[in-house]
Amino acid sequence: MSTTRPGSVARFAGAPLWIACAVLAVLAVASLAVGEVALSPARLWAAVAGRDELAATILWQIRLPRLLVAALVGAGLASSGLVMQAYFRNHLASPGLLGVSSGGAAGAVVAIAAGAASVSLWFVPLAAITGAFLATAAVLGLARRGAGTERLLLAGVALNALLGAVTSHVLTSHAALYERNAQILFWLLGGLEDRTWEHVVVAAPVVVFAAALWPLGRPMDLLSLGADEARSLGVDVRRLRWALVGLSTVLTALATAVAGTVGFVGLVVPHILRLLVGPEHRRLVPLSLVGGAAFVVGCDLLGRGAGGVRLGVVTALVGAPYFLWLLRRAER
Amino acid sequence: MNRAALMLREVAVPGRLQPVSLELPAGLVVGLVGPNGSGKSTVLAVAAGLSPGDARDRNDVRWNGDAIAAIPPRERGRRAAWAPAEARFEFGFTVRSVVAQGRYAHGDDGLGVAEALARLDLVALADRPVDRLSGGERQRVLLARALATGAPLQLWDEPLAPLDPRHGLEVLAVARDHARAGGLVVFSLHDLRLAHGLDLVVLLDGGRLCAAGKPAEVLTAERVRAVFGVDWRIEPGPSLSLP
Repeated sequence: MSTTRPGSVARFAGAPLWIACAVLAVLAVASLAVGEVALSPARLWAAVAGRDELAATILWQIRLPRLLVAALVGAGLASSGLVMQAYFRNHLASPGLLGVSSGGAAGAVVAIAAGAASVSLWFVPLAAITGAFLATAAVLGLARRGAGTERLLLAGVALNALLGAVTSHVLTSHAALYERNAQILFWLLGGLEDRTWEHVVVAAPVVVFAAALWPLGRPMDLLSLGADEARSLGVDVRRLRWALVGLSTVLTALATAVAGTVGFVGLVVPHILRLLVGPEHRRLVPLSLVGGAAFVVGCDLLGRGAGGVRLGVVTALVGAPYFLWLLRRAER
Repeated sequence: MNRAALMLREVAVPGRLQPVSLELPAGLVVGLVGPNGSGKSTVLAVAAGLSPGDARDRNDVRWNGDAIAAIPPRERGRRAAWAPAEARFEFGFTVRSVVAQGRYAHGDDGLGVAEALARLDLVALADRPVDRLSGGERQRVLLARALATGAPLQLWDEPLAPLDPRHGLEVLAVARDHARAGGLVVFSLHDLRLAHGLDLVVLLDGGRLCAAGKPAEVLTAERVRAVFGVDWRIEPGPSLSLP
């Protein structure tokens, strides 16, 4: 009974994290190997060593950037979802359902349509961040903190519809006719097709913002059980909230800027991890980064294995039933 | 300089609390009584530095003479503990980890967590998730967390309401021990008979302070009738105590 030190949690925290890392590593290698041209581990090695030119091209120009974007998108969305759930004290809150992803996509599309993307690569993520912040502000206004599930999700439904319409309209009036549908599809139902090193660079700051999330795990525990309670226990709630809103919004925006609106990652991953290791955020923050990356890399692999199903379709096929099951369970 | 353990000077919350002033020395168990909606919870929240919204920076609340507006957030967590009347636990933290949250302001050193669990009879429940507890059990978790903070000032909102008689008396004993050790416990309650046995009673009515002082002086027959609309008699009857 003398194991009350919360620090003792850390002793066991390592195992699930290492398992998640191993899963991610296996999925990553599989993701590099599987495709139209199958690359055996031996051929992958030859590509790395520069002895196989075709394999090297496929590896460096196609599969590795795609893998890295997938991992960054997954890490960003999952950690963002985790933060939103603690913030709203509601395990159904997530960037996709609350419309923050849609805000990011709308922002990115407006920037592209305005021609800003051809001026500088960085305008797209900046516009995505702006759009995501507008969506977050709207959610915060519509559903107050600790709001009931219904209010929160209805606010998300309205925002998603509105922002999806903005995205579709902007693309309809600006994209060239022949690529219009592909563009609308990409932004509304995210994907990882034709990702390049430029996209990796745009998404890379996910790592920085995720690192900033690291020390907030403990106060997030307290906040997730009530703002007044957390304040009375010594948490600077006002500052914590600003940090969480800022970080989760930017993480979602960066993911959306390179992969469009990928749904359900921020909902499913934190929830599964919570079932596996419990609700302590010091463990969930690193786990959701690795687990989110593994989830999206896995979904991408699944989609490619099924003959090129888009990432957004796969995550929806996996996530929507899970979400409905959660809703049913929450009713009881 | 005034060193009252808790001092409220003309604190107010629009629509809920008229200006209230109060000075309470350390070493006491103080009962806050009043009909529903009389402002008990509001007074406790304000005293804990949790005034709603824009009233937060205006209200003059002092702990041991220090204005709380000037006390950094973390230090506040070490100097005063607040237990709400009701807990909404959304996530399945274990009882032990929720109680351990009381040590956040102390750098999560885990000190006193086992004692707090034992004191509120939570040892057997320590590894259970808090979202699957009964109302009374949840209340004890909140009190154990407040106690684990080691804060001298303890502010509890209706701690006894959901408790069975035995746990109710134990919480009262915890409060007395804390006061005897030099702390101040202020809690709200509805049981006027119980309030009569405390060190001080503060009576609120309609968001105003009616009276504060020794129970026998505050809880007079006329006042109880006027505020609560019930007759107040002191006569021998059944009583409960810890064996």
